[in-house]
Amino acid sequence: MGNCRIAVDIGGTFVDAVLFDADSGDIRLAKALTTPANPSEGVLNAIEKLDVDLADVSVIVHGTTLGLNAIIERRGAKTGLITNKGFRDILEIGRGNMPDGEMYNIHYQRPEPVVHRRAIGEVPVRLTADGEEIQPLDTAALVEVAESLIADNDLQSLAVSFLYSYLDSAQEQQAAAILRERFPDTVVSIASDIVREHREYERTCTAVLEAYIRPIFERYIDRIQAELKARNFKGMFLTMRSSGGAMTAAVAKRAPLHTVLSGPAGGIVGAAHLAGQLDRRLLLTLDYGGTSLDACVIADGNPNVVHETMLDIYPALLPVYDIRCIGAGGGSIAWSDEGLLKVGPRSAGAVPGPIAYDRGGLEPTTTDAAVTLGFLHPSSFTGGEISLNVEKARAGVKEHLADKMNLDAMGAAAGVFRVIAAQTVGALRQITVERGLDPKDFSIVGFGGAGPLIAPLIAIEMEISEAIIPRFPSVFSAWGMMTSDLMTDQSQTYIAELTPENLEAAEVHFKALEDSVTALLDEQHVERGQQQLLRRVDMRYLGQEHTLSVSLDGNPSIADLAERFHSLHFERYGHRIDEALEIVNLRVTGVGALNKPELQKMEGGVASGTVAAPVAERDAFCFVRNAPVSFKIHDRHALRPGHVVAGPAIIDEGTSSTVIYTGQTITVDDYGYLIIRSDKK
Amino acid sequence: MIDGPTIEIIHKYLLSAAEEMRRTLIRTAFNPVIYEVFDFGISVYDRDLNLMADAPGLAMFLGANDYAIVKVRDYIGKENLEDGDIIIMNYPYWNSAHTADVTLAAPVFAPGEKEPFAYTCIRAHWMDLGAKDPGYVLDSTEIHQEGLIMPGFKVVKAGKPDKQIFDLIRFNSRMPKNVIGDLEAQIAATRTGHARLRAIREKFGPEMFDAAVREILDYGEKVTLRELAKLPEGTWTAEDFLDDDGIGTDPIPVRVKVTVKKDRFVVDFSESGDATRGPINVPVGLTQTLGKVALKALTGPHAPTNAGSFRPLEVITRPGSLFHAEYPSATYTQWSAIASAELVFKALSQAIPEKLIASSGGDILGFMMVGNHHKTGRMFALSNNEGVGWGASATHDGLNATNHISSTMVRNTPVEVLEANSSMLIESMHLIQDSGGPGAHRGGLGQGRRIRFVGDGEFLSITKKSKTRPWGLDGGGEAEATGVYLFPGTDRAKRVGTYRTKVAVGDVIETRSGGGGGYGAPEKRDPKLVLEDVLDGYVSEQAARDIYRVAIRDGKLDEAATKALRA
Repeated sequence: MGNCRIAVDIGGTFVDAVLFDADSGDIRLAKALTTPANPSEGVLNAIEKLDVDLADVSVIVHGTTLGLNAIIERRGAKTGLITNKGFRDILEIGRGNMPDGEMYNIHYQRPEPVVHRRAIGEVPVRLTADGEEIQPLDTAALVEVAESLIADNDLQSLAVSFLYSYLDSAQEQQAAAILRERFPDTVVSIASDIVREHREYERTCTAVLEAYIRPIFERYIDRIQAELKARNFKGMFLTMRSSGGAMTAAVAKRAPLHTVLSGPAGGIVGAAHLAGQLDRRLLLTLDYGGTSLDACVIADGNPNVVHETMLDIYPALLPVYDIRCIGAGGGSIAWSDEGLLKVGPRSAGAVPGPIAYDRGGLEPTTTDAAVTLGFLHPSSFTGGEISLNVEKARAGVKEHLADKMNLDAMGAAAGVFRVIAAQTVGALRQITVERGLDPKDFSIVGFGGAGPLIAPLIAIEMEISEAIIPRFPSVFSAWGMMTSDLMTDQSQTYIAELTPENLEAAEVHFKALEDSVTALLDEQHVERGQQQLLRRVDMRYLGQEHTLSVSLDGNPSIADLAERFHSLHFERYGHRIDEALEIVNLRVTGVGALNKPELQKMEGGVASGTVAAPVAERDAFCFVRNAPVSFKIHDRHALRPGHVVAGPAIIDEGTSSTVIYTGQTITVDDYGYLIIRSDKK
Repeated sequence: MIDGPTIEIIHKYLLSAAEEMRRTLIRTAFNPVIYEVFDFGISVYDRDLNLMADAPGLAMFLGANDYAIVKVRDYIGKENLEDGDIIIMNYPYWNSAHTADVTLAAPVFAPGEKEPFAYTCIRAHWMDLGAKDPGYVLDSTEIHQEGLIMPGFKVVKAGKPDKQIFDLIRFNSRMPKNVIGDLEAQIAATRTGHARLRAIREKFGPEMFDAAVREILDYGEKVTLRELAKLPEGTWTAEDFLDDDGIGTDPIPVRVKVTVKKDRFVVDFSESGDATRGPINVPVGLTQTLGKVALKALTGPHAPTNAGSFRPLEVITRPGSLFHAEYPSATYTQWSAIASAELVFKALSQAIPEKLIASSGGDILGFMMVGNHHKTGRMFALSNNEGVGWGASATHDGLNATNHISSTMVRNTPVEVLEANSSMLIESMHLIQDSGGPGAHRGGLGQGRRIRFVGDGEFLSITKKSKTRPWGLDGGGEAEATGVYLFPGTDRAKRVGTYRTKVAVGDVIETRSGGGGGYGAPEKRDPKLVLEDVLDGYVSEQAARDIYRVAIRDGKLDEAATKALRA
C-alpha cells in the first residue's frame, strides 16, 4: 500500500477532494458537483477526478452534512418515540419558547416535526431526581405500545428516552434489549447511549434525531464502503466528527449524530493545526462559502467546543466545535429599505444565484457587489466553472441599490461589503467578548471560496493586525480533515459540590467513562500505548446554571482545580465569587494519534522581501482610499516563500481571490501561506 | 450627509453592543430566572433618552425601560451624573414593574466630555428583596408590603461600587448571595455595553454617530408608518375581565379604545376601572408597553425596535386608575398587564380579523413552590411559566403550549431541574385534548401538569384569566380556560386561579393552561385536517363528530357520514 491520503468534504454545491502523497509531498485537488439524491455518487466522482490508484491510498477521511440535511429537509427515517407515562408531549411542549427573531410574531408557525404525536408512546417507568426507581419498566406495556406504534406508523426507527436516564441507564437499556429482540427490523436508539447529561427535552431531542438519521446514514456508509472496495481501496475509511477528530465507519454508523456538523469541523481542525504550525495563540476562523459565513475562536490551539447545539428547531446535546453562522454566503441579497442598505437574510442560493451568473437572478447579491467592485475575474471565477456577466451585475446593483440611495454603482457595491463587514465584526466581537478575550489580539484565518476575499477587509475593520490565507483556501475544510486524529468522547452528569469526598466519588464515573472510551478506541485499532485520555470537569458556582469546563490535566489537587475554575471565570467574566463550587458534568476525551501528513515547506523560495511581479493590473475598489484604484493582479501559483506584495493587490488562484488594500502587505511564508499585515503607521 | 450603508453599519454596531451586554448578563447571572428563563430586558439610549437599540429579552421589560430611564435621570438630575456611575432602581411607579424587577441605568461618557452621549438600561428579575412573602406576593394592599424600595441611587459611583448600598440590598434579601450575584452580573453587562458604545462613537466620530442615530430613529418611524398605512382608519373598543384583584373575588373589567389613523396609533386605557386594593395595579410605563408590543406585532415583528418605531404611538391613561398606578397602590402581581396585552388585538379584530389571531390561553400560568428541600433542607423558591395555546388565524392553526405573546423568549423549567431543586414530583406534563377552540382553523392546545409533593412547603399559582374563556374570531369557538385544581379527589378539592396554599407530602395539584381560540366555523374545517387532529389526539373523535361534524371510524374518514353530519 502506498502512502497517499484522501480527504473529501461534501458541501452544498461542490464535493471537494484533496489528495496528499506523503512520500512525494504531492498535493492534488478535485471538485465534483454535489449529488443530493445519491450523495455517494458525488463523493466517488470527486475521488475519481483525483486520478489515483486507490490501492495506494491508506486513509480516506470524509466530512458530510448528510445527517444535518436529512433533518433540515425532513428526509430522515420514519421515527417514533417511547417515553415515560405522562410525558408523551415532551417533544412538542419543549421549552415553550419561540425561536430567536420571532419575539413579536403572532403568526409564527413551527415547521413539520420530525416525529408526529401519533408516533409517540408512553410506558409506566420512572426514576426520581435521586435516581431512585419508583416505577420499574412495565415490559408488557412496552411491547404492546411499541407494536402498535410500529404497525400504525410504519416505523423504521424508534427512540427511547426516559427521565433521569443520565443517572441510571438501566431502564433504557432494558427497554432497548427487549425492543431489539422483539422488533429486529426496527432501529432502536436510546438516549443514554448518546448522552448522559441532564435536561430531559434536550436529551430526548438528541435521541430522536439520532434515530431519525441512523438508517439513512447506515445505508450511505455501507454503500460508499462497498463502492470503494470495488475500486480496490483497502485502507481505513474515516468519518469526521463535529467536534474534531475522526472515527471509523463502524463507529460512525452507531453514532451518526456526531457527524452532523463534520464538514465545517474540517476547516477548524485545519486552522488549529495551522495555529500550531505558525505558533499563533489566538485565531479567528472565517469560513465564507456560497451558503454561509461561519466563524470560530481558537485559543491556545484549542477550538472552542460546546456541548449543546441547535439542529433545525431542535436542541441536541452533542460536543461540537463552537462554529457560529454569522451571516449568509455569497448569494445573500442586498436591498434598500427606506434608504438603509440591508444585506440578507434572503439569499438567491445557487439557483437562480447572483445576477452575474446569468441564470435568471434579478436581485443583486454580495457576489454581484464583488463583481462590480472589480474583485472577481469574469472568466476565472471558481476555476472557470462559472463565467460572470459583469455588466448585468453592475446594472443590477445600480438599479436596485445605487439609484435608491443616491450613490453610484461602485459606492453602493462598496456599501454592501461595508455592511457585511460591520455585521461580521459585530458577530466576531460577540464570540470573543463572551469569552472575555479582546478581538484585537487575534489573527484571522480566511478560507472557503470567499474567505480570502473578505478576511483582509475584516482585519482592517476590526483593527486586527494579521490575516492569514492558507494554501488551497477553497478546499481548506477537506485539507483540515486530513490532519485529524481518531477521537471519541463520553460524558456523565454528576451534580455534587466540589469536596474531596465527592471528587473521590467521581472517580468511579471517570473510570467507567474511560473504560468506554478505551473500548471505542480499541475497536478502532488504536493500540493502548497510543491512546491518550483527557479528563475534564464542567463546574459552576453553587447556585449558577452555566458551567465552565476545566481540564484535569496533571491531576490537580482540589485547591488547584478550584483555582483553575476561579481564574477561568475571571478571564471570561471579569469577576470571581466567594462561593462554593459545584461539579456538573464529567467528561473524558480519548485521542488516538494518527500518522498525519505534515505540510512541507514550499520549495523555490526567493530572497526574503523580494517584490513579486504582477501578471496584470485592473481597476477595483479600495476600502482604505475609498475609491477605485489600480490593483496589481498576481497569480498565487507563481508566489514563492519570501515574496512580498504590497496592496492594493489581488491574488488570484482560480477557486478564490485574496484582496488586500492600500496599507496592507502580503508576505509569503515558508509554507506558502499568505501573511497579511497592516503597514506600520 | 450620511449615506445608507453607513447608517446601517452604525445600526448594526449598536445592536451588536446590546447583544454583547446580553451575552455578558446571561453568562454571569446567578438566578435561573435570568439565565434559563431570560426574564430580563436590555436597552441602549441616545443622549436624549431615545431608544437606539435593544437585545432580545422580555417584550414587556424592554418597553418599560424607556419610561424608567427618563424618570430616574430626572430624579437624580443630569447635572449630577458622572462617568462610571451606575444607578439602581425598582420603585414600581417609575420603574414600570413590580419591586422584584431591578433596573440598572447608567450614563455613558466619552473621555473628557461633560455630558453623557448615551445611556444603558438593564432590567432583570431578582429572587428576593424582602417582600412580606417569599417567592411571590399575591395579596399585598400597598407597596410597603412588597419589599425594599429603591427610587434610584448610585450603586456604583464614578466607577466605585458603594459598599453601603450593597449591604443595604444584602441585608434586605432572603437570598442575599443570589441577588448580589445578579447585581454583579448586571454591572458587568453594563460595563461591557459602555466600552462598546464608546468605541463605536470614537470610530465614526461624534457628528457621524449622532447623524446615524437620527436616521436610525427616522427609519424606525418610516417602517411603522408604512405598515400603519395598510390598516383601516377608525376607532374600536374591547372589554375583557380579569379574575380578581387578589383580595376580593369580583372580576375586574379592563377596557381599551384603539384608534387607527394614517399616522397615529392611539391606545386608550382610561375607561378601565380605578386602582384596586389588591396588587394588580399597572404602572403607566408598563401600560405604555402594552401599546408598544401591540404596535410592534402589527407593524414590524421582524424589524429592530427603536424610539422611532413608537413615534406614532399614543397611550392614554387615567392617573389613579388600574392602568396608571400611583403611590401607594400595590403592584406585585402584574398579570393584569400580561392578560391585557391581547386586548388591543381584540379591539382591532373587529376591523382586521384576517391580520390577527384569536385569543391565546389568556396570560402566563405561573406556578412556584417555596420551601425547604426534602433532601438537602436548603431553602428554595422555584418557579415555572407554563405555555398556553395560541389563537388561530385566517390562515393557520394556533400554536400548542407556547409562551404568551408578552414573554415569547421565556423558557419553561426542565422537569429534571424542577424536581431536583424543589419538593415536586411531576407525574405528567401533557397537551390537553380538545382544549383548543374549535374552528376552520383550530386554536392551540393548553398544557396540563400533575404535581405530587414529596416535601412540605407552599405552592403558588398565578393567572388572572381563569374565569373567562379565550375568545374565537369569525365564528371560531372559545377555548378551555386556564385553571388550577387543588387536591383533586379529596374533600379539599378546589378550582382556583391565583392562589397560595400550604402543601404537604402526598398532596396533588393539577394545573391546566388555557387553549387558544378558534378562527372560522368548525364545520368548515377540512375533514382531512380533522382526521389528522384525531390521529394525533389533539381532538377527540367525539369532538370531531359533535363540533366539527366529521365522522371518523377506525382511524379513517367516513365521508358519507361526514356529508350527512354537515348537511
